[in-house]
Amino acid sequence: MKKIEAIIQPFKLDEVKEALKGIGIDGMTISEVRGHGRQKGHKEVYRGQEYNVDLLPKVKLEMVVAEARADEVVRTLAGAARTGKIGDGKIFISEIAEAIRIRNDDRGESAL
Amino acid sequence: MTVENPPSSAIAKPVEQAFLATGDALTALAERTADVDRTVIEIATGALFPAAPSGLAILAVGGYGRRQLFPYSDVDLLLLFESERQALGAKEALSVFLQRLWDSGLRVSHSVRTPAECTEVHDTNTELNISLLDQRYLAGDRVLYARLADKLPRFILANRDALIRNLSQLTRERHAKFANTFYHLEPNVKECPGGLRDYQLICWLTQMRETEAHHLGVAAPSPDIQQAFRFLARLRCYLHCQSGRDNNVLSFEAQDAAAEHWETGRAMGDPADWMRDYYRHARAIYRAGIRQLEASEAQSSSLFAQFRDWRSRLANADFSVHRERAHFRAPQGMDAGPELILRFFEFIARHGIRPSFEAEQQMEARRARLRAQFEQARPVWPALRTILSLPHAPLAVRSMHETGVLTALFPELEAIECLVVRDFYHRYTVDEHTQVAFQNLWNLRAADEQPLASYGGLLSEMQNCGALVFALLFHDSGKGLPGESHIHGSLRLARTAMGRIGTPAQEQEAVLFLIEKHLELSTVMQSRDLFDPQTIRGVAHQVETVERLKALTLLTYADISAVNPNVMTPWRAEQLWQLYLMVYNELTRELESERIGFSVDADLTGPPQRVEFLRGFPVRYLRTHTEAEIDSHMALEEKSRKRGVAVEIRKLESAYQLTMVAAADRPGLFAAAAGTLSSFGMNILKAEAFSNRRGLILDTFTFADPSRTLDLNPTEIDRLRTTAERVIAGKVDVRQLLRNRPKPVLPTRSARVPAKVSFDGKASATATLVEIVAEDRPGLLYDLASAFSSHGCNIEVVLIDTQAHKAIDVFYITAEGRKVEPEQRERLEQALRQACEPGA
Repeated sequence: MKKIEAIIQPFKLDEVKEALKGIGIDGMTISEVRGHGRQKGHKEVYRGQEYNVDLLPKVKLEMVVAEARADEVVRTLAGAARTGKIGDGKIFISEIAEAIRIRNDDRGESAL
Repeated sequence: MTVENPPSSAIAKPVEQAFLATGDALTALAERTADVDRTVIEIATGALFPAAPSGLAILAVGGYGRRQLFPYSDVDLLLLFESERQALGAKEALSVFLQRLWDSGLRVSHSVRTPAECTEVHDTNTELNISLLDQRYLAGDRVLYARLADKLPRFILANRDALIRNLSQLTRERHAKFANTFYHLEPNVKECPGGLRDYQLICWLTQMRETEAHHLGVAAPSPDIQQAFRFLARLRCYLHCQSGRDNNVLSFEAQDAAAEHWETGRAMGDPADWMRDYYRHARAIYRAGIRQLEASEAQSSSLFAQFRDWRSRLANADFSVHRERAHFRAPQGMDAGPELILRFFEFIARHGIRPSFEAEQQMEARRARLRAQFEQARPVWPALRTILSLPHAPLAVRSMHETGVLTALFPELEAIECLVVRDFYHRYTVDEHTQVAFQNLWNLRAADEQPLASYGGLLSEMQNCGALVFALLFHDSGKGLPGESHIHGSLRLARTAMGRIGTPAQEQEAVLFLIEKHLELSTVMQSRDLFDPQTIRGVAHQVETVERLKALTLLTYADISAVNPNVMTPWRAEQLWQLYLMVYNELTRELESERIGFSVDADLTGPPQRVEFLRGFPVRYLRTHTEAEIDSHMALEEKSRKRGVAVEIRKLESAYQLTMVAAADRPGLFAAAAGTLSSFGMNILKAEAFSNRRGLILDTFTFADPSRTLDLNPTEIDRLRTTAERVIAGKVDVRQLLRNRPKPVLPTRSARVPAKVSFDGKASATATLVEIVAEDRPGLLYDLASAFSSHGCNIEVVLIDTQAHKAIDVFYITAEGRKVEPEQRERLEQALRQACEPGA
């Protein structure tokens, strides 16, 4: 099993969710986060006062999928989240040792 | 009630089967209680009393004590021991007793107490004290029980204030968990405001109030409250039977099932209609509960009584204030027309005093008559706008809603009353969402942490909250109309309502814009890249002016935050603020760069004379002026041909407006006009200075007349106009006029707005943008404009706005036809800062 974490632009969330739903991925955890990579921050002047937005608003998606589906999910996710500009975000993939469904103690991929 | 395919757990229980067949909850509860009584007594007789033949009594408490044991509710037992030593001695037998109860299928919740413990106030265990109001002897030592039963009334009598205080706190905390409203889409029928717990609150408070030294008080709620209780009891019983557990949440699925099977003697296919019945009953209980609670709190708090007395001084000829509630002195005055009722809500909105229950009933009783009165076109907009702008306006509007006055005034809002629209994120009915949105908007005034404090600042800058709040009240009104997009429906309803109450065209236009675009900023945040300049330009073109942007931002904040209490996260609030900032800056940039006939050809239509007049003015001019105003400006231009200048002064609703047209600009022209107004003691609220391609100058000043000079001496208007024309034409030196200007009254140090002056050389290709925020004072604009002139700067475009003692000024300036050079900028900035000083 693989855990896929993606940091994406907030305005791409609906598109990404729809694309993942299209390949049968419904379950995910979504968080509102802030951060920056190469996009750096943003500065606005409002009535003579500088507003520095060092940490830009982003959305973080987390999901665990069967190993065999990981590539397809990543491809779909990246395709839907991409604009081609700096700030599109990142995807991180890691191994998952075990998954347990709390309700009935299902284990492994059947718990996903 | 009949239910097809009831859950298997229900089939096993005869009491539940009987209930599902008859729908008679009270009988079912009493029968279950009797069943449980038998089980408890039987097990106690076998397992407990042999080890504790005396010195122990078993009491039923809580709902079980009241003989209202719902199918899956806990069985609350109080094990009353003579002494702690005896309780310790019976520990093992007690354990066996409880285990057997559990084994018999009862979920027991027990407590072990001595009579002394039962007659102490437990500040941290109010439930124990209160549960004794419903205690009932089951089995065991009757003498011991009699001792407690004897002491209990005297204990309650002696500690009534403390017990009420604790119960009150517990209730307020519970209500707060549900945001103090019963209009939840999926309510908890036991715990929510207006639920069964509140029915019990009514009973408990009555019992405590009527307890005497030798007997506990008895609750006898009014028939409508008893009817509401029967409805809720039946509903809870049904939820238990349906889910086979202690489930009290009326989910959407349960609403569907209940609407289908609830026999009310009428067709109830629509769950939304059935839910209206639920809210009606919950409302009756909630209001009665709050009424009792407040009356009890007031009786038990001398501090409150003092405050209450102080508030009664706010009474006037129409309304009295008694026990922190407003009363009509002569309620029959409502029959003559709606004026008294509108003044009543203005009183509430001004002072934050809620209507008395009598006043509520008096208004409710006149609902039909009120409706008939309001059906006729009546110019009530000014009164309504006043109400909607006052410090406690949300309380007034909520009171109007609860008494039915709001729907009498606006039948257009009837379709969203208690309306459940199923949405995963929404928590409240549509009407409650609107009320919460308004309250959340007003709460911004007290916000002192970012980013909410910024929104609060924005709200304080709103000159007219009436249009904003009216838009908020109607923004979702279309949700009650089937088969139509809710925005179109809302627009249609708002238009009809505003036409009937005489809302001026300009405010109607502001309201309709806000309703039409109320989802725009949310959509942009959700689906567009905020850091893409195209996105920002797109929004700027939609909102067109800073005034509209401010109102739309506040409406969006209020709307989102009223979806549920957790949806407006700091993350989202910051995102919305970021969007506001970027669009604000784009609109300020456009002020100079977007010129009619250059960048916006589509707007330049009409007769050649009109086209020639408009060409070169900022696009804002078209966006902020009606056709009639443009016509009057063209007429003024015609008038100016002879002498090169023409001035017009007209009275607005609460201010005056001076418009001047000059054939050509000259250094200090704007300062001269501003100075003339200051010399007459006028206070400039807003100003605009634009020029077209031919170099025609059109300046508009909106000003207040604090001494009412023009109101009381109409001839002064002519003198002001003539003087302004002479000053603008250069025949009179404005400095001479200002020599005798009275010194302004300075605000206290703590109230002062720190001056901010900023320069932006990139905002425009040809001019430098200077933004100034400063404490407003008479003559400020003249001093600023003079500072520009004396530094050789020409004012190209000006936009001045004054709100809440704060002047927010935007100037586009040039020096010898070019942007201001850095070295000149430093000197100019110093002069401007000096001009902003209160004593300048």
